[in-house]
Amino acid sequence: MDRVKVKLLFFAKSREIVGKKEADFEFASCTTSVSILEKLIEEYPELSVIAENVVLSLNEEYLELDNQELTLQAGDELAIIPPISGG
Amino acid sequence: MAADLERLRQEICRREEELSELKQRLADMEKKSVEDASDGTEPKTIHNGNQKLTNDQIGRYSRQLILPELGVKGQVKLLSSKVLIVGAGGLGCPAAIYLAAAGVGKIGIVDYDEVEISNLHRQILHTEHRVGVSKAESVAISCRNLNSSLNFITHKVQLSSDNAMSIIRDYDIVLDATDNVATRYLLNDACVLAGKPLVSGSALRFEGQLTVYNHKGGPCYRCLYPKPPPPETVTNCSDGGVLGVVPGIIGCYQALEAIKIAADIGTPLNQRLMLFDAIDCTTRTIKLRGRQVLCPVCGDNPSMTQLIDYEQFCGARATDKDQEKKVLPASSRMTAKEYQTLLENGIEHVLLDVRLPVEMEICHLPHPALNIPINTVKKDPSALVEQIKRQLASSGIPLDTSPVVVVCRRGNDSQLAVQLLHDSNLNIRDIRGGLHAWARDVDSLFPVY
Repeated sequence: MDRVKVKLLFFAKSREIVGKKEADFEFASCTTSVSILEKLIEEYPELSVIAENVVLSLNEEYLELDNQELTLQAGDELAIIPPISGG
Repeated sequence: MAADLERLRQEICRREEELSELKQRLADMEKKSVEDASDGTEPKTIHNGNQKLTNDQIGRYSRQLILPELGVKGQVKLLSSKVLIVGAGGLGCPAAIYLAAAGVGKIGIVDYDEVEISNLHRQILHTEHRVGVSKAESVAISCRNLNSSLNFITHKVQLSSDNAMSIIRDYDIVLDATDNVATRYLLNDACVLAGKPLVSGSALRFEGQLTVYNHKGGPCYRCLYPKPPPPETVTNCSDGGVLGVVPGIIGCYQALEAIKIAADIGTPLNQRLMLFDAIDCTTRTIKLRGRQVLCPVCGDNPSMTQLIDYEQFCGARATDKDQEKKVLPASSRMTAKEYQTLLENGIEHVLLDVRLPVEMEICHLPHPALNIPINTVKKDPSALVEQIKRQLASSGIPLDTSPVVVVCRRGNDSQLAVQLLHDSNLNIRDIRGGLHAWARDVDSLFPVY
């Protein structure tokens, strides 16, 4: 299966947990958003505590969590966005 | 001396509030005199050929009046609009002052809290001599000094399920400038139930987030985040830190969005989420999903038709103030005074400070300390136990008799550390109340942060 390198962008709590803002990550090019999240948690198990409290976006568009087929391109940006509550 | 200072501060505050009231009265009377005049034979506004704005208003708002997008029509809308700001802190201060500057007719400010010195680096409408004064009142005073012609309403209460609907009812637009998860869900639900757009801002460390909820088919907070985060994963400004200008920028954006919605100009940020990263000076705007038909509060068949208990829903208090945890039994703790006695008696011990290195640089206890941040302790407690045992052994100190003393800023993380290191043979205790207790009970010259 084709694999593509995607850029992960971590925000807020996910940035704190992972300890970095960005990372490159390889996914199967043909996948689903649910599978993407699973792979993310596999790679960064510490993220599991907030897995249900994040918005995911692909190339700055909201990524619905479902099992619909999704094609990733090399260089795509996947953002992990937990809410910030401070002010 | 201290009492004199305090008296003087209180006196200045009292007079400032008095002055602020007088200014409001003057503004009200001026407004009334204009209205009276326009009832009479020669309306004051007729000379400018404009029935809608007074000469004073034209002069004051001239630089924005000449913007074709805003114009007289937009300014009149601003003057008749009513905006509620919930939270008179790092976001609420800049938002309030720009709304006042722009001429939003009625500005409500909700905050139950009082000004503290550690607020001033970001909550820029408060002042040194207003420490201890109501934050809502302090914001109103500063805004009134900038624009006394507006109507400022202070709500010196904690927003709750009991009062939210009745407070929000009187406003057109609501700004979420709060600092905790429970109040954010409460405000979201209240705005959905009341049908008001919610301009939501938040900030922590060097990051800010901004969006407009419940507006023009866009989602509400619950459409994006149906489940509240586990409380232990939520970081507040007190623990995580925040550079003051970051909420400053986000608060300004909130004022901007509120002005656009009130004047009905431009494209508001509904169904989009702006992410601001101050350290790299980057912004990204994420296109969000729309309102969810299955959303429990804004969906087509909402299961929530009234406000609920949000502290219960979130499992966390509706405040960003740190709560004192009670993890350890009294036998595993010592007071700051007891630690002082231990030091004075020259008892050999290992001091473990579980704060971050950056905090060690701010201040630390007089005894040399092993500095292992709590997150490192969590990762491998047994390795730390071995390290402590080695340190005791190398100093020739018997294991069971010598105490290991754990300290942190407030006495919460230190308890967690003692608990994690508990199964060993170590005689380990923490200092109740941490460095704050040390400063309060032992060394009044010790800094508090």
